[in-house]
Amino acid sequence: MNNRNHEGSRHGGPPVVSCENVSFSYLDSGRPALGEISLEVRAGEYVGVVGPNGGGKSTLLRLMNGLLRADSGDVRVAGFDPAAEPFEVRKRVGMLFQNPENGLVAPFVEDDIAFGLENVGVSREEMRERVRKAVRAVGLDGYEQREPHTLSGGEKQRVALAGLLALDPEVLLLDEPTSMLDAAGRRGVLERLEALRGARTVVHVTHHLDELLDADRVLVLGAGRLVADVSPERLVSDPDLLRDNRLVLPTALRLAAELGLGPAKLRTPEDLAEAIVEKSGARAR
Amino acid sequence: MRIELENVRHVYAPGTPFEVEALRGVSLAIEPEEVLGIVGGTGSGKSTLVQHLNLLLVPTSGRVLVDGADVRTIRGRELRGRVGLVFQFPEAALFAPTVEEDVAFAPRRLGLSEGEVHRRVGETLGLLGASHLAGRSPFALSGGEKRRVAIAGVLAMAPEVLVLDEPTAGLDPATREDLLGVVRALREEGTSVVMVSHDLDEVAEVADRVCVLENGEVRAVGAPEEVFYAHPTTAPSTVRVVRPLRGPHPEVGRPVRFEETLAALKGLLEGRV
Amino acid sequence: MTAGRTLGQFYPVASLLHGLDPRAKILGTAALAVGLFLVDSAAGFLLISAVVVLLVAASRIPPGTFVGFLRPVAFIVALTALFQVFFSREGELLLEWGFVQVHEGGLVRGLFLASRILLLVSTAALLTATTAPVALADGIEDLLSPLKKARFPAHELAMMITIALRFIPTLHEEAQKITRAQAARGADFSEGGPIRRARALLPVLVPLTIGAFRRADELAEAMESRGYRGDEGRTRYRELRFRTRDALVLCAAALVVFAGILL
Repeated sequence: MNNRNHEGSRHGGPPVVSCENVSFSYLDSGRPALGEISLEVRAGEYVGVVGPNGGGKSTLLRLMNGLLRADSGDVRVAGFDPAAEPFEVRKRVGMLFQNPENGLVAPFVEDDIAFGLENVGVSREEMRERVRKAVRAVGLDGYEQREPHTLSGGEKQRVALAGLLALDPEVLLLDEPTSMLDAAGRRGVLERLEALRGARTVVHVTHHLDELLDADRVLVLGAGRLVADVSPERLVSDPDLLRDNRLVLPTALRLAAELGLGPAKLRTPEDLAEAIVEKSGARAR
Repeated sequence: MRIELENVRHVYAPGTPFEVEALRGVSLAIEPEEVLGIVGGTGSGKSTLVQHLNLLLVPTSGRVLVDGADVRTIRGRELRGRVGLVFQFPEAALFAPTVEEDVAFAPRRLGLSEGEVHRRVGETLGLLGASHLAGRSPFALSGGEKRRVAIAGVLAMAPEVLVLDEPTAGLDPATREDLLGVVRALREEGTSVVMVSHDLDEVAEVADRVCVLENGEVRAVGAPEEVFYAHPTTAPSTVRVVRPLRGPHPEVGRPVRFEETLAALKGLLEGRV
Repeated sequence: MTAGRTLGQFYPVASLLHGLDPRAKILGTAALAVGLFLVDSAAGFLLISAVVVLLVAASRIPPGTFVGFLRPVAFIVALTALFQVFFSREGELLLEWGFVQVHEGGLVRGLFLASRILLLVSTAALLTATTAPVALADGIEDLLSPLKKARFPAHELAMMITIALRFIPTLHEEAQKITRAQAARGADFSEGGPIRRARALLPVLVPLTIGAFRRADELAEAMESRGYRGDEGRTRYRELRFRTRDALVLCAAALVVFAGILL
């Protein structure tokens, strides 16, 4: 392991999620899905997870809330072992899945948002209040009585997010929550996630690097190993690391990299335009 | 093959409280051997539009012409072999025990000989880089592999026009790049491709012409540089980088594709232009 | 795109019936159903028909829409009724045409049978159209909860109903999508005899089934991750409140049934 690619956490908070030498293999597969992974996520951190398909990203999230049980090693989330006390962990950890269609349980939006609260035994009066707040937090006022199948993908995903927020979780695990959405739906979900930054610990698995440009750290998982644990600035500036893990920069950042304009400080195509104006202006002078 | 839509309107559930006018008079041509990109968000009518190209839907009013003949005079089955339509998330329709069998389904329905069917299956899987999957179960593949096999299942009919509805939705960026390569290869071979997508960056990379659909109407149609530079809200990243530069540096031109844009910007920075 | 509403779907408007406790509606419907099996006179059927018409009016569902709910069963009703009419040899011979004979007894039985099925379906349609699926499931669970002591899975049954109602429209859309996708690959669902047609459905049924299993997997994961562990320590978002009017409605239903049987 080289140190350049393992910067680790820069936050000072206590670790909320920790994995120590965690390994996991699926029954029907010879190769371990995760091999001896060690990592820590501190309170309030926003941590991205990227890497090629089959690299172990989804497996890692599923170990963190007890949907899977590690073969060896220690997982601790919010002070509990998810495999031993899954209910305690799930009260404190919300997970958003790739396909929102298959995660909504109830035939109406408000009943679905209440589902998690019902499971942990919240009283009816408090449920009403929390559902109301959660609906507002994801911008779906007026949707309470809608049936999920009448909603767009982006709206469904926001309902799913509201269902998690209603439980006021310490940690949010996001498993490619935007990959099945169109541009507008994706924007809507990302805006809501952006609003949560800092208030909650977030572990966000995605294929879209542009969603992680403001993350505190990005973990790169490849072939079941933790390949890198770096700042997003360093990740986007490292062509070898990107190529080896089948990661593709957003178009504007790719242009910036090819032009030698350091993609790390850029967010949008407009930022790049500005950088070019500055540079060409300097040249003219 | 040239497909022309003449003032096509489509109304779902007419005369009921659930009536929806999905297309409001669309006129558009798909020229031979071109890649036409159709962009538009949810509710723009793009999915309704593509189903008119192979008679899965007929216009409420207006006409669809294939090489000048009204499609209503053509048998649906025959047209579906000539205009291949790949729906969004096409892997949901994989059904056969092996990839080979699944891809052979459509050409068999065309009534081709077994030898010809076999040849086409092999050829199509080859084109999509999926030959090694032929004997596998389609249900045991990865997401990207499933997508390729599902596209092969339509392409094996050797259609003159291939219509792809959101072909890269849900794929990781690297697999997406591979698929765009397939689109380019198809055009090289003389197949027209209609690519419906909400992703402007990928349309910019492959389209010869672009049509912007909004609320069931064509808002703009033409060469990518015409459409993208004229409509600020509908511009891929490349155009969004270049447009603000055109004021001080008109010589940068109107590049759209990544490589063109990179060359133009390099020229600008090095002062060669 | 799915438009229109079908049998078994909730019709969300505000009405007297919508506002009743689901338990009252379930018991009332059950009472009417039992009654319908016992009623054996024209007057009895007329009485119950009149009550059903009144209930439809009270439900604020447009009559045309309500008749639409019954359309899927019309064929079966007609078939069973005609079967009675043509194959029963009871009573006076009313009509003879070749080997076809219509007897009075058959005609009456056919009409009674048709009314019985139509009224049964109507009451069931009224129940589902005026009761939100979640409330329906909660009502069933509550009514069956005394059986929990005997280890009857009342909660699981209610959860199954909720999930089924939630996913029926989704699976319906999925079936349409797959059908269109296979049609684009040249599948033809209308040609050939019944066996060929059944075979032609395989390319739709196989992926639909596989898709349903995948959904079930993902749903199970989502439910678990949201802390679901069965009935244990679970509270309810919807409140069931049995008011005076619910009791009155139940009494009325019982009276109607008794009257119908006695007539």
